[in-house]
Amino acid sequence: MADISVQEPFPISLIANRYLLFDVNIVTYARREHNICGVLIGTIPHLSQQNIFLGIPLELMPEEARLLVEKGHAYIVEDVESHKSGFLEMSREERLAFLQVMDKQGRETALSNKKKAEERSEKALQRKGLAGKAQESSPRVSETAELNTRAYTDADAETSLFDLPSGTASPIFSQNSIALEPYFITPTTSYPPLPIPPTTPTLSLPDVPRTYPLFAHLHSRGYFMTPGLRFGCHYTVYPGDPLRFHSHFLATGADWDEEFNLLDIVGGGRLGTGVKKAYLIGGADTSSKDSRSGGYSDVGDGVRAFSIEWAGL
Amino acid sequence: MADKDEDTPQLSGVNAGDIDLSDETQDFRFLSNLSFSGTDLPKIPKRGEKDFEPHATSLQSSTLAASRAAMHSALSIPRIHPPKTHIMATYDPDTNMAYVDKIKSQHFQTIGKFFQGKEWLLPEEALFMLERGSLDVRWPVLRTADEDENDSNSLGVPMSLQGAYAAFIGMECGVGGKLTLEMYNVYAGLKRAGYVVLRSGSWNNERGALDFTNLAKLDAREATNKFWNFRIFAEIWEMLLTRKSDGGAERLALGPLITPGLYRTYDDIYRLLQIIPNHNRRSPPTFSLPADSSNPFHVTYHIYKPTGKFRKSAPGPPDYRVAVVNARETSVPTMAQLSDLLATTPYDPPSASSQLYQRLKHGSRNIILAIVDQGIPSYIRVADASFSDEKLYERQARGSRGKRGGFGRGRGRGRGRGR
Repeated sequence: MADISVQEPFPISLIANRYLLFDVNIVTYARREHNICGVLIGTIPHLSQQNIFLGIPLELMPEEARLLVEKGHAYIVEDVESHKSGFLEMSREERLAFLQVMDKQGRETALSNKKKAEERSEKALQRKGLAGKAQESSPRVSETAELNTRAYTDADAETSLFDLPSGTASPIFSQNSIALEPYFITPTTSYPPLPIPPTTPTLSLPDVPRTYPLFAHLHSRGYFMTPGLRFGCHYTVYPGDPLRFHSHFLATGADWDEEFNLLDIVGGGRLGTGVKKAYLIGGADTSSKDSRSGGYSDVGDGVRAFSIEWAGL
Repeated sequence: MADKDEDTPQLSGVNAGDIDLSDETQDFRFLSNLSFSGTDLPKIPKRGEKDFEPHATSLQSSTLAASRAAMHSALSIPRIHPPKTHIMATYDPDTNMAYVDKIKSQHFQTIGKFFQGKEWLLPEEALFMLERGSLDVRWPVLRTADEDENDSNSLGVPMSLQGAYAAFIGMECGVGGKLTLEMYNVYAGLKRAGYVVLRSGSWNNERGALDFTNLAKLDAREATNKFWNFRIFAEIWEMLLTRKSDGGAERLALGPLITPGLYRTYDDIYRLLQIIPNHNRRSPPTFSLPADSSNPFHVTYHIYKPTGKFRKSAPGPPDYRVAVVNARETSVPTMAQLSDLLATTPYDPPSASSQLYQRLKHGSRNIILAIVDQGIPSYIRVADASFSDEKLYERQARGSRGKRGGFGRGRGRGRGRGR
């Protein structure tokens, strides 16, 4: 786990004005090293009937993308253009080369799957052997065991059926006389065949809302943040990785001299306390940074934050 | 206080059933507990199995490492297609859709459209199928002059998940031309939850069409009801005794609101007191804003509950209508925007048998707003609550119209007071 690392700066895909991560190593790395959670929005293959655990891609808030870029950990890549030129105008040689790579991978997957199936059937056979010993005492057990093995051998027969090259389905592969038809694989990222794009910072920094100073401030203090609309705030703030900790604050960013309704404090405070969190309002003093920043926050970003909790509940 | 919190895993006062697990990030180590096979209900991890705050113990850090490792391995599940279930589609850059030559999956009962010998998938359909590992989409092959159509090497390269997002979301300017990542988030979420999701018909237009369904039907039904009512004599009797509420402009201008005379029921008096005109929700709807394609509020998807009877050729009226809204780019809809949005939904009155509060909540027209904040959707149901149709003084009269009148006073008090 801890050995997963990626080379910095890593690319962030920009698609239709959204910042996405597709590489699982980058997702894990950014979470571990930079406290960047993002939101998983994809479907985990074969676990596609639930909404509790989601998968790749990871959508980053513009704040998160901006922070990573500003600190030099990442850079933005315009994915649409690179895919347009990379795939829609792919040359024949490149295509065939990549197909061959995929074919090899597919073959390996098929092989490992076959191995797994063999292991399974071996286990089943072993179980049958055990059942065979118990045969005299309880014939019924052995009967079911036999049924089980029959099912397993049937499954085996099925797999061996597929293993025969079907000839027409994948003409390229059938030329090889290996008795294993490769699986088809949908890769997660496009690198390869696309080259990892150069790190030249041609794109401008991500546009961020005015709550960014608060975000950056809390992030610099080691907090984890996720989007907070569900709790009526800008960010839900976690003291550690949200995988293991509940959030402590419902943070709302504001401008330094911004006037807001007292009712917002009441509403946020009641809601926050109701879900065992504290409501937090914060903003950056942009007007007189030099005089104030030192006094209130040692980070020097001029951000002050207040947490509001309903006492006596 | 803090220590206490750590030991009470469940939020006090909240039923376990009320907790939405997708509200917060769940620990991926519990993913293996989710079982979707067999007759067992899926075991969903209990909320509250998290710590309150980090305290730098090695137990805590090793648990965290285990959680992250579980997450990493869950996220690295590859999308592999065994030859038996392999479905191949080809991306079409002109329409930004994908077509499947040979369909062999029950998914196609609810997605795709057959056109010119091929099964065409909309961008969100193709992307979702690819994402869940059920479809192998290929980039189209750039043909050169010397290449043969039936060349054995004419297979396109597989489209990666990243490529699929870049294509179906990023290059979106084909059919409909308006799929955003937010819309896709909502689509995928609802599909994962098992619903049948279809695009609403208004994707190509500047705005949806006014929906007059149920209005005509309603009028016809009411007419027959009136004619064949058993209590027709009671009605006539009532008509003779009921005071006309339209006393004219003079009464409203000069008063008194209630002219002296004989009143048989309080209803007549209440009717006279109602001087503020109200919107008739049964009248055909109209738009109050000019057609504008930049209006973010329009019905995006039609949602159907999964039933065996669903046919994509004749889906029928949807169970729900969803309008997808981007939380960061859109603010609360104005009255005019909301009323225009509701005008594109059908008149859907609450059932007559339900309680008053339920009827008010149900409203006469309704829409579900799916508000997506950076990939996290929240669903809000907006309904046109028809307070003017739910007359409190008529509430008791339902079902026993003949006996109406008389001692209305006693009844009214009984209901209104007690708490």
